Amino acid sequence: MNRSAVVADRVFTLSAWIFGGLGLALPFSIVGFILVNGAHVISWQFLTEDPAGFPLGMAGGILPAIKGSLALVGIGVVIALPTAVGGAIYLTEYGKNVFVLRSVRFITECLAANPAIIYGLCGYSLLVVFMALKISLLAGAITLGLMMFPIILIGSQEAIQAVESEYREAALSLGVTKAYVVRWIILRKALPGILAATVLATGHALGSAAPILFTASTVFSHGGMSLDAPVMTLPTHLYYLVNQALSFDHAYGTALVLVVLLFMINFLAWTLKRYVGR
Amino acid sequence: MKSTEAAISVTTLARRLGDPLMGASCLAALLLGVGSLLFMPLYVLVEAYPVLGNEGGVTGFLFTRPWRPLAAPPEFGILHSWVSTLMITAICLALALPLGYGIGLFVSEIAPRFVQAILQSSLQILAGIPSVVYGFFGYVTLLPLFESHLDMPAGESILAAAIILSIMVLPFVASTSAEAFRAVPAETKEAAFAQGVTRWHVIRRVVIPRAAPGMFAGAVLGFARAIGETLAVLMLAGNSLAVPTGVLDRGQPLTALIATELGEAGVGSRKFHALFAAGLILVVITVIINAGIWALKVKWVRPSE
Repeated sequence: MNRSAVVADRVFTLSAWIFGGLGLALPFSIVGFILVNGAHVISWQFLTEDPAGFPLGMAGGILPAIKGSLALVGIGVVIALPTAVGGAIYLTEYGKNVFVLRSVRFITECLAANPAIIYGLCGYSLLVVFMALKISLLAGAITLGLMMFPIILIGSQEAIQAVESEYREAALSLGVTKAYVVRWIILRKALPGILAATVLATGHALGSAAPILFTASTVFSHGGMSLDAPVMTLPTHLYYLVNQALSFDHAYGTALVLVVLLFMINFLAWTLKRYVGR
Repeated sequence: MKSTEAAISVTTLARRLGDPLMGASCLAALLLGVGSLLFMPLYVLVEAYPVLGNEGGVTGFLFTRPWRPLAAPPEFGILHSWVSTLMITAICLALALPLGYGIGLFVSEIAPRFVQAILQSSLQILAGIPSVVYGFFGYVTLLPLFESHLDMPAGESILAAAIILSIMVLPFVASTSAEAFRAVPAETKEAAFAQGVTRWHVIRRVVIPRAAPGMFAGAVLGFARAIGETLAVLMLAGNSLAVPTGVLDRGQPLTALIATELGEAGVGSRKFHALFAAGLILVVITVIINAGIWALKVKWVRPSE
C-alpha cells in the first residue's frame, strides 16, 4: 500500500478520535462547570423561598420562578396536546386528499422550525395587546402552546403511522367503527410515542425565554398565581440576574435548577422512546 | 324489555354518530391548530408591510438608514442588525461544520459501539441545554477570556456570540451528518475496501460523496437554528447599534434587536412595524430553508416515489 495513503489514513483516524473526544468533552465541561459553581447555592431555602434582598434576587430563593415555569408549560401542554393529537388523528386516519396532507405537513414543519422570538413577537402583539390579555400567565401559556403544537403534531403523526395496519384491519373486520379503532387501538398503541413527543416539546418550551419575555414574565412576583397576572420563570429569571449583574451565585443556582429539570424531562422522553422501540 | 331496546337504539345512535363526530372533532382540532399558526406568518407580513411606506422604502430599511429610534424624526434601518446576523451565522457555521462532520464521521465509521452510545447521548445533552444557559455560560467563561487575552474593555462581540452559537448547533450538524454517513450502503463501502484502499480513501471517495446531500441538510439545519437563536446572542453579541466591521466588534442580530426593542415599541408605531419587518426576514428565511430541505428529502431520500 502506498505510504502516503497510510499516513493520511492514520492522520484521519487520529483526528476523528480527537473530534469524538471534543464531542464528549464539550457537554460534560459545560454541565460540570454549572454543577461545580451552582451546587453550593442550592439549598432548601433556595428552592422554597421568594427572592429577597435589595435589589431583588440578591438573596432568598427562586420558588416563584419554578412554579411559574411549571404552570406556563403545564397550561401550554393542556392547550397543545389535545389539538395536536386530534390533528394527527385526522391527518393519518381521516384525511384523504394527498395534496392537502402534504401541504399541512409542510406548514407544520416550517412552523416547528420558526424562531422562538417570532412566537414572542406575535404573542405580544396579538394576545397581550390586541386581545388585551396583558402580560399574563394565560398569554404566555397560549404562546408556548402554539410553539409546542407543531412539535407534538409531527411526533404524534409519526407514532400513529407506526401502528401496524393489521391492527386496524383486524378490528374493522370485526365490525367496530373507525372511532372505536382510533380510541381503543391506535391511541393505545401510539401513546408512548405521543407522550415522548409531548415531553420533548415540554422541555423545549420550559427552556426558552424568547417567547415569554414579553408575554408572561415579570422580574418579581409572590408565590400566588392567577391566569391574568404575570409570573416569574426560570429562564427569564436567569436572564435578568445576568443582564442586571445582580447575583452570579444565584444565576449559577438558577441555571443548575433549569438544567436538572430539563435532564429529568429528557430522560423521561428517552425512556418513553425506548419503550416505543420494543 | 323497553329499556334494553332504548339502550340498543342509544348504542346504535352512538355508533352512527361516533364516527363522523370523531372525524369532525379531529378536523376541527387540526384546523384550529394549523389555522392559528398559519395566521402568524400572515400577521407578521401585514404588520411589516407599512415599512415599505417609510422614507426610502425597502432599500432605506435594509441598506441606508441607521437605527435611531430616539432621533427627531426617528429612523429605523436594520443594516447593522442583518449584517450582525450574517457575520455571526457565518462564523458559527465555519466552526460548527468541520467539527460536526468530524464527529459525524467518527460516530458512524470509527467509534466502537459503546463509545457511539455515550457520544450520542452526550450530544443529546448538548442539544437539551437551553439558549439562556448557553448565554450565561458564555458570559462567565468566554467574555472574561476575551477581556484578558484580547485586551478588550468588554468581551461582548460577534466572535463570542458565534463561538457559543457553534456549540449550540453542533449536535444538529453532527447527528444529521452521522445519519447520512450511516445511510451509505455497506456493499458500496465493502466493494471499495475490497480494492485494498485505506479507510480514509473510502470515506473521502465513497462515503462523503454519497452522503453529501445529508451533510448539506445538516448544514442547512444548523443555519436555521443559528439564525433564529435569541437569548445567547442577546447576552453575548453586545447589543450595539453600529454596523459591525470586524469579528471583535459588537453587534445586534435580528433576534436580539426584536428582543431588545419590543418592550418599548408602541403598537402601530413605526418602530413596531420595523420590528415586524425584521421578524419577517427571519420567517421568510425559515420557510425557504424548509422548502429546500423538503425538496432535498423528496429528491434523495425517496427517489422511487
